[in-house]
Amino acid sequence: MANLNGNMYGLTILSPILDDPKIKISHDTALRMYLQNMHRHERSPFAKVAGTHICRLVVMDDVVYVGSPAKEEHLKSKYLIFNSNLYGGVDAYLEEMARKIPDVADDIWSHCVGYPGVTDPRAFAAYMKKCQIETTFFFADVNDKTVEQTLKALQTKVEFTAFVEENQGRSPAELQREFAAFWERMRKSPPPDGGAKELTKGQAARA
Amino acid sequence: MVKLNLFDIQGFVARGYSFPCACYLLAEILDYKAGREFVGRVTEQVTSAERWEQGKPPSTLNIGFTWTGFRKLGLPDATLLSFPDEFYQGMSSRNRILGDVGKNDPANWEPVWKEDIHLWLAVYAQTADELAKRSDEMGRLMQETGGARLLYTQQASAIYIDGKPTSKEHFGYTDGFGNPDYEGVERDTVPGQGKLMPDGKWAPLATGEFILGYPDEARELPACPVPYLLGINGTYMVYRKLHENVASFRKYLDEKGKQYPGGKEKLAAKFVGRWLDGTPLELSPDRPDPDLVRDPSRNTNFTYRHDSDGARCPLGSHIRRANPRDAFGFNGELINRRRIMRRGLPYGEYTPADQPASDEDEHGIIFMALGASLYRQFEFMQQQWIEYGNDARLGNDKDPLAACHSAGSDKFVVQGTDDPRNTPFVCSGLPNFVETRGGEYFFLPSLTALRLIADGAVDPR
Repeated sequence: MANLNGNMYGLTILSPILDDPKIKISHDTALRMYLQNMHRHERSPFAKVAGTHICRLVVMDDVVYVGSPAKEEHLKSKYLIFNSNLYGGVDAYLEEMARKIPDVADDIWSHCVGYPGVTDPRAFAAYMKKCQIETTFFFADVNDKTVEQTLKALQTKVEFTAFVEENQGRSPAELQREFAAFWERMRKSPPPDGGAKELTKGQAARA
Repeated sequence: MVKLNLFDIQGFVARGYSFPCACYLLAEILDYKAGREFVGRVTEQVTSAERWEQGKPPSTLNIGFTWTGFRKLGLPDATLLSFPDEFYQGMSSRNRILGDVGKNDPANWEPVWKEDIHLWLAVYAQTADELAKRSDEMGRLMQETGGARLLYTQQASAIYIDGKPTSKEHFGYTDGFGNPDYEGVERDTVPGQGKLMPDGKWAPLATGEFILGYPDEARELPACPVPYLLGINGTYMVYRKLHENVASFRKYLDEKGKQYPGGKEKLAAKFVGRWLDGTPLELSPDRPDPDLVRDPSRNTNFTYRHDSDGARCPLGSHIRRANPRDAFGFNGELINRRRIMRRGLPYGEYTPADQPASDEDEHGIIFMALGASLYRQFEFMQQQWIEYGNDARLGNDKDPLAACHSAGSDKFVVQGTDDPRNTPFVCSGLPNFVETRGGEYFFLPSLTALRLIADGAVDPR
């Protein structure tokens, strides 16, 4: 199963982009413009879809044969590539996309051939899976943790480093007391929001 | 066995002179004809790597060129286009790779670095008088030929303590250990230098890591400009003026040294991986050992295989970053192509430890490094090992001492043990101890190549 690395699923979807010579701005151009203006990191719409570790959207015009002798060959259409490293089942993930970010899904995939819309999340998921290809040579930097666990671990690392720095040199009794309080604070704090480029100290305290 | 042509290689390339004082002249070539005449006249005096049978000369002279200098001297386009990108771009254009950002941004460098620097002359001398004499002579030669204009003079000198030259730098560390040995040098390999062999012994690195025209560690000849004769026996040089914030360093050490159970002196040692006197922490983690420092068969003869958690020498300490030896596994093979040959001297007045220091005073290090590939060796080391920590599994932590720190948010972790005098410790809020004040990439041609340049006979066909 090349789509799986540990518990991480590597989703690759190639959706053919509509080709309509009658419209003023072609679908691939419109899509490029939309994607280039999309928010990233914590403001990325995909941060709202639980299970997204990282994802990426690319417009592929064509592929070029690299080799000798040179050969001219073309794809049947332009494609939108959607890559996502996700935790959990693919169906549930895609359906959640339709529920959590329906406008974004519409804005993107309405430029693609055969797009059924998001009103029926299961139909959306079925459509996406129809365009799925196998992810080969799939590398995942974290392959055994949920997004929440990963965020929490990163947060704990940042907060613990700060804790050590602030409390080093204290007596064992003080240290134990401070650590118990720290532990409790960390335990209670919700994981930070997804998408952040870098986690900084104090996010847990604020959360 | 590699046989170096010592009459052709510049002396500065082949070895460190260990003279107490130096003067680096930065100049602009005014006219390509007169410029070539100037280069020819200098070449007559350039110190080669031949052995000093009669003892050390009173002074030495060496020369290097920037890419724009070569262009100004009229080297053919085909030759100019055959130099590597980083040499063509120059150091200030590579600032994002090198971490020269913020306060260290080239926009904040000394004014001379915004001028068109074409050549670098290095005079080393035994005495200040000899130094002045030789430097003045270069100034006169510029005027006489009308080929060059002096832009800047950088004096440098070993720090004198009790009237004797030392190998200290301004923070108080003993510097200058561990230049890599390479094949062709007429001396026995010093254990701990060169490359680590599978049997645990040390062997010299391939000559081509440091001088063009000889096989390198990949058993290939290093990329060389055309014609080959222009490149062979020459090499690239990094020149950086690194200002040292001595007051900030001392203040930070005083503050953190009070909290660190091992004390201030040990914390200073943890920063670098050597005690102030040069004793390697790896060999003597609890105290400086003067006998060890004096013994060249021991003072750089160590590996990190028994210290993988950094309890003796921290994973992020300066020497472990700059030369990780076997720290990344594979018996050290990953690092053999990332070594540099260091040269350099301090500049400015030394403030003894018991006198009040300042950040503003003009003092620091002229850091120079030689290598066959600026990109593969110096730039990689600077970007990945000094300004970043991932290879050492330290995330984005940087070299505590040598890196450019971002607004006091960087930290340095001292790994430790259960021993109450060697507990783990986090140094946070690192200020910039070192600031880049300028720098450039130069090519130091062979004597033959210098004559070709002077004669206008560089022919790439």
